[in-house]
Amino acid sequence: MTSESVEMPVGTISPPAGRTPKLKKSRPGSGRSELGMALLFIAPAAIGFLVFYLYPTIRGFYFAFTRYNLLGSPRFIGFDNFTKIAQDKLFWNALVVTTEYVVLNIVFQTIIAIGLAVLMQRLIKSTVIRGTILLPFLISNVIAALVWFWLLDYQIGIVNEFISWTGLNRIPFFGGENWAIPTIAAVNIWRHMGYTALLVFAGLQMIPDYVYEAAAIDGSTEWHSFWRITMPLLRPILALVLVITVTGSFQVFDTVAVTTRGGPVNASRVMQYYIYQKGFAEGQFGYACALSVILFIILISVALIQLKLLNADQSDLA
Amino acid sequence: MSTTITSEDPGRTETVPQTAGKRGKKKVSFGRILAWSLLVIAIIITLFPFYWMLRTAFSTSKSLFSDPGSLLPVDPTLGAFKRVLGLASVEEAQAEGGSGASVNFLLYLRNSIVYSTVVTIGQVFFCSLAAYAFARLNWPGRDKVFVLFLAALMVPPIFTSLPNFILIKNLGLLNTFPGLVLPTLLMTPFAIFFLRQFFLGINREIEEAASIDGASVWTIFFRIILPMSGAPVTTLAILTFIAAWNDYFWPLLVGNTEGSKVLTVALGVFRSQNPQGSPDWAGLMAAALIAALPLLILFFIFGKKVVNSIGFSGMK
Amino acid sequence: MATLRKRLGVGILSAVLLSLSLTACGGGSDSGDADSQGGVIDTSNATGEVSYWLWDANQLPAYQACADAFHTKNPNLTVKITQAAWDDYWTKITNGFVGGTAPDVFTNHLSKYPEFVSQEQLVPLDETLAKDGVDTGIYQEGLADLWVGQDGKRYGLPKDFDTVSVFYNKKLIEDGGYAVADLQNLTWNPDDGGTYEKTIAHLTVDENGKRGDEAGFDKSKVAVYGLGLDGGSGAGNGQTQWSMYTGTLPWQVTDKNPWGTHYNYDNADFQKSMGWMRSLIEKGYMPSVEAVTGQSAGDIFGAGKYAMVTTGSWMIGQMYGYKGVQTGTVPTPVGPSGKRSSMYNGLADSIWVGSENKPGAAKWVEFLGSAECQDIVGEKGVVFPAVKTSTEKAAAAFKAKDIDTDAFLIHIKDDTTFLFPITDHASEITGIMTPAMDSVFTGKTEPSSLTDANNQVNALFE
Repeated sequence: MTSESVEMPVGTISPPAGRTPKLKKSRPGSGRSELGMALLFIAPAAIGFLVFYLYPTIRGFYFAFTRYNLLGSPRFIGFDNFTKIAQDKLFWNALVVTTEYVVLNIVFQTIIAIGLAVLMQRLIKSTVIRGTILLPFLISNVIAALVWFWLLDYQIGIVNEFISWTGLNRIPFFGGENWAIPTIAAVNIWRHMGYTALLVFAGLQMIPDYVYEAAAIDGSTEWHSFWRITMPLLRPILALVLVITVTGSFQVFDTVAVTTRGGPVNASRVMQYYIYQKGFAEGQFGYACALSVILFIILISVALIQLKLLNADQSDLA
Repeated sequence: MSTTITSEDPGRTETVPQTAGKRGKKKVSFGRILAWSLLVIAIIITLFPFYWMLRTAFSTSKSLFSDPGSLLPVDPTLGAFKRVLGLASVEEAQAEGGSGASVNFLLYLRNSIVYSTVVTIGQVFFCSLAAYAFARLNWPGRDKVFVLFLAALMVPPIFTSLPNFILIKNLGLLNTFPGLVLPTLLMTPFAIFFLRQFFLGINREIEEAASIDGASVWTIFFRIILPMSGAPVTTLAILTFIAAWNDYFWPLLVGNTEGSKVLTVALGVFRSQNPQGSPDWAGLMAAALIAALPLLILFFIFGKKVVNSIGFSGMK
Repeated sequence: MATLRKRLGVGILSAVLLSLSLTACGGGSDSGDADSQGGVIDTSNATGEVSYWLWDANQLPAYQACADAFHTKNPNLTVKITQAAWDDYWTKITNGFVGGTAPDVFTNHLSKYPEFVSQEQLVPLDETLAKDGVDTGIYQEGLADLWVGQDGKRYGLPKDFDTVSVFYNKKLIEDGGYAVADLQNLTWNPDDGGTYEKTIAHLTVDENGKRGDEAGFDKSKVAVYGLGLDGGSGAGNGQTQWSMYTGTLPWQVTDKNPWGTHYNYDNADFQKSMGWMRSLIEKGYMPSVEAVTGQSAGDIFGAGKYAMVTTGSWMIGQMYGYKGVQTGTVPTPVGPSGKRSSMYNGLADSIWVGSENKPGAAKWVEFLGSAECQDIVGEKGVVFPAVKTSTEKAAAAFKAKDIDTDAFLIHIKDDTTFLFPITDHASEITGIMTPAMDSVFTGKTEPSSLTDANNQVNALFE
């Protein structure tokens, strides 16, 4: 972004003694450190983080090295859980199944969300439309899953009634091994596309109109403007959206718990469900924590890679 | 649909909110038709399940399956809504296929409103402070600490649900509002991440101008940054409110008395009562719709703000 | 300014450490402090409030009436009943155990109770019951034994029981040319399904109106299934799916019941029966696992898609409640043993080890297990109480609602019940058997693959 000279209001006070103007792209360490102010600003959030996130996580990491069924005392067993995981067929199955889900979810959800956001921005800005698109997000995950579980039921769901009325064979949306994960992904996309579109839309709002106008005057088409202006300027928001959706997708649970419960035959036994099954249903809490540690490491790595690739720390708008 | 004002003076920047295309002319292009069709399809797919929920909510649970393919309510009745609002007697409820459990609707509604409002205000306030520190203040280790906070997004719920439950219990806050709101009141990683990304995108020169003028960081934050961030802050507030409103698992663990039970937990009474049973469909759908209504109203009130507070670029 | 900030920083740090230490105190279970070693509970001076949890909202009015009667009898004691739906019930109980907020008394289920016993969360009742002179002989045969742990101690008093039978859709039966009497004495065997399979075939109708035993039957376009399938393959015990058939074979799931330690899924007769179930699906007479992943068998029955379906007596209210369907029941078919069979399951109420009002809890459990309370429950006609005399009252109450329960109670009369299998590692066994059985039913693997699953299950006991 080119910067034009800032109009100094009349009666400018010269900078107070001791203050130096900030550098354009400040990096920590250079320029004055605002540690004190920063600590104050972060304090409440930091307390929340330490007490409700960090401490339980450390505890969880500890349990990963124990055998623990929640009601006795944890017994330290070193890396045993992890070696067991490496040989656990269901663990590898969970990884594959979850990755399949994540890829489907991300690709389609991001495309649809960006498309919807741009449509809302450019085509029609009505709050009614926006409210409509956001509607699925207003009902809980569990209700959404229950409703779709019924709508897509093989024998009495209206979608299959319609399909069979057209003469095609009914589709076992939730019951078919190859259909289960795509169906679950579709349900979650349905529920979240409005929400994701809203995030992207908020990002679009931050792009000033004159940028587009300048481009239009230079002869750019809508499509061209989208790729050359919108997408790059959306980068921090896109990074946010991608990290959030990827992380959230890896942790999919509610929909599976309400509908397929891991079936048919492990086709939808995603990581989080497998963890829950081991930890709460089967009483192997230590093992479940070990699985969670692995999931955690995967998520952090993926997020860091995403952030680095997308250069999310900088914004072209600033 | 859209009005365009051809710009006579190329130098003038004139924002016309209703303008759809930035070209000077209105064209019914193929692209436009495609765009509209896609939007219409998206709306249909979005709305059909809600229509189904409405149709089911106005049906009688017992008769629902006698006509599974019908697009209209089966055996229309207001019974489901009466059950949800706690207006039906046990006999009436059981006659229609409901369970007869009682629902003190207004009380649970109040509880949900208090819970969601407190969580929203707290989270938005504290997280915007923290997000600003991550986005604009300079301090050693800033980015590393940010990654740490971000990592909280990845913390599996299995780690946090039990320890937090035990902590709240030990603090004696079970079945109280403080106990309900505490874990998410101060921060969620999403809120910090979200606002930090938006704060990054704010034009630095405004801040620089203000600090040259002698404004303290507090002033810059409250007088400049926050007002400029109307859209993202409102968006975050809406999202947080919705998440808190629909929160089920944590309130289920911590809020079990009349004074602390929230709507989502209370309406769980319509879900299936035994392992092979079915939910009270009509009641469940009515419950879901009624529970979503306040959110919808909220969105329509505040949604305009999201549109109208276009990011102030300050370069007019 | 700098010192103020430093002070704030220190203050924040100490607040954090304080809360960390609080959580450290709370980590781990609180519930081990109460004695789980037995010992008599003196119920003579019981006072105060007793918290009681159950999951079935349909039974809530009945138990509330019991609680009211209890309070009249014991003015010093009040029972507070909380209901949580099945899906959430066990999560809340487990959290309650860990967090110390579990109820004094709660409805227990056979699939969960072995784990609770091994986790030492239940109070043994023997000595207390002996002292108060409670007679465990008033219950239906075998029910009381279900609730005695491996250590020989009793952990619950039976409150109700259920069996399975065949529910049918009157109109669809009549369309097939059958009278109810024709269905009363069907026979079954794992080789060709006997008259049972013939009936099922005849009752299956495809979308063109062709029946399952007619030429031109299109099994890919079935409109009505002769026999429905309740939810899936039934995992390790097939209570409502196949246990009523395998129960007529000379085969036991475990070496002994309760508290077996060796499973027998490698048995040839058992595997042949699973093959028979699969053959029904392949012929189009029974819906596939794919087709039943979704809404409950009851709802699909209510939509008129099943002529018959096997399920348990707890579903009576729901199955008879569907508008537009006239429901009836017939007993399960007679098998190679020359007799019928039904799995026999029963709930009981247990006391939590961490309860702070054990005397009150014990008195309430005794009342729940008494004929007085079970009569009240029986008269509401929602469930079969465990006390023999109360069962009869329930049968009468059902009859008054036009529901004939003979098909369920015939197993009690003829003594053709067998107990729900009770062993350790129940959830892990379910985790192994569900995918293994699903896989057989979908044709992905052969019934002989169950030997492999059996080995995995038995490995848990080593």
